[in-house]
Amino acid sequence: MSNLSPHSEMLLSEFRELRPLLGQLSEGVYALLFSVLKEQNIELNAIEYRVKTEQSLKGKLERKGDKYQSLDNITDLVGLRIVTFYSDDVDKVAAIVKNLFDVDWQNSVDKRKLHQLTSFGYNSLHYVCRLKEGQRVVDCTKETATIPFEIQMRTALQHAWSAIEHDIGYKGSVKLPPEFRRQFSRLAGMLELADDEFSRLRNTMTEYRRQVETLVKSGQLRDVSLSTDSFNSYLNLHPFERLNQRIAAVNQAEIYPVSLMTFLPLLESFGMETLDDVQQFIDNYSDDAYQLALSQLAVTDLDILSESVGLLNLCLVYVLKHNGGIDGLCHVYDTINGKHPSNEMLAAAVLEQAQSLLLNNQK
Amino acid sequence: MNTTFKEENKDFVMYFEGRLDTAAAPKVEQDVAPLNDCTGHDIILDCTKLEYISSSGLRIFLAILKNAKPKGSHVYIRGMNDDLRQVFAMTGFTNLFEFK
Repeated sequence: MSNLSPHSEMLLSEFRELRPLLGQLSEGVYALLFSVLKEQNIELNAIEYRVKTEQSLKGKLERKGDKYQSLDNITDLVGLRIVTFYSDDVDKVAAIVKNLFDVDWQNSVDKRKLHQLTSFGYNSLHYVCRLKEGQRVVDCTKETATIPFEIQMRTALQHAWSAIEHDIGYKGSVKLPPEFRRQFSRLAGMLELADDEFSRLRNTMTEYRRQVETLVKSGQLRDVSLSTDSFNSYLNLHPFERLNQRIAAVNQAEIYPVSLMTFLPLLESFGMETLDDVQQFIDNYSDDAYQLALSQLAVTDLDILSESVGLLNLCLVYVLKHNGGIDGLCHVYDTINGKHPSNEMLAAAVLEQAQSLLLNNQK
Repeated sequence: MNTTFKEENKDFVMYFEGRLDTAAAPKVEQDVAPLNDCTGHDIILDCTKLEYISSSGLRIFLAILKNAKPKGSHVYIRGMNDDLRQVFAMTGFTNLFEFK
């Protein structure tokens, strides 16, 4: 039997009629937000939407039905949640939401600002919005214009906090003893600190990447340590292109683009520490790498080559010139291709070819 | 050049037999079409009886890989002889595929 008052029953019945429109609105707002956030290159952990279930609304009306004069007073019939990775991005998303929709400031909450200076807890930003006057969202009829919808914005860590808090029932009817509340508070503080640190780390990394790019562009390779970021920036200069083109010319081959990042551990294992070391490696060994590739490809009609062909031959030549022998050549193939019994056969074949080219032991 | 397509333990397996050269490539390209709908399946290119592969053959293998990757499917090469492995190694394509 229903515990609802006649007024609440009426609201529930209105809700049933309104449901198709709420569905349209949630999908339309979701599609708009998804495309705008993508356009702005904001990396999201999740973006989701839902229409309140009848059961959930019933529960709400049972608890505080008299508070609502009409369905318009219930602002979360349509809800969207945007979960970002970084706390900085919550503000960015909020600015975009503010720009896209009319925000009902009286009913919107920035829970981040509600806490006492000395307390920690759930941080999230909730905006109650409506479509702007005349705004049309895909698949939405004009009847949806006045319906409010709630957008929650939070970081992934805030989201995790909220989910765990919900699971444990922190806000349930049983009051938690002070020591447990303190434990919650400590965890919330730690997550807030972690959120700030992740944001700070991202800013530092972005700055570092910018500096590396500048140094690489200005040719100051000696000052740039070899790392994932620096090697990536260096690859934007296409340092192996000349050698690749020379090799490709043997059979008028096309070059098939691939990532060269898998070679980084190999270059590090050769003791290279800066981008200048890599540049010297190219300068010193390109001729021999070309000769080695030529000796293999000239007897074939292979006219498609991976973009890694130049770098692969450079590595093979480097090993040969440093007395790496069959073990060293195997190490090259193991690192690039993964360990496989046939790597030894490939290494033996290269060694045999190299002997005919007199590459061995001549640095 | 013969090809056989089979579904084995949820994997899409394409068996190649003979010489995959320029002359054989157009037909093989048609034969491998069932691999296009590979969502939810890994692909195994069984080369146990493949004797030779030309650039055209490499392009077919690369096209299979290019189609499968965005769908989350792995492409494995199985039973490749030493000559074929050398072709993959000298062209630099070995590390694009997974070998069984």
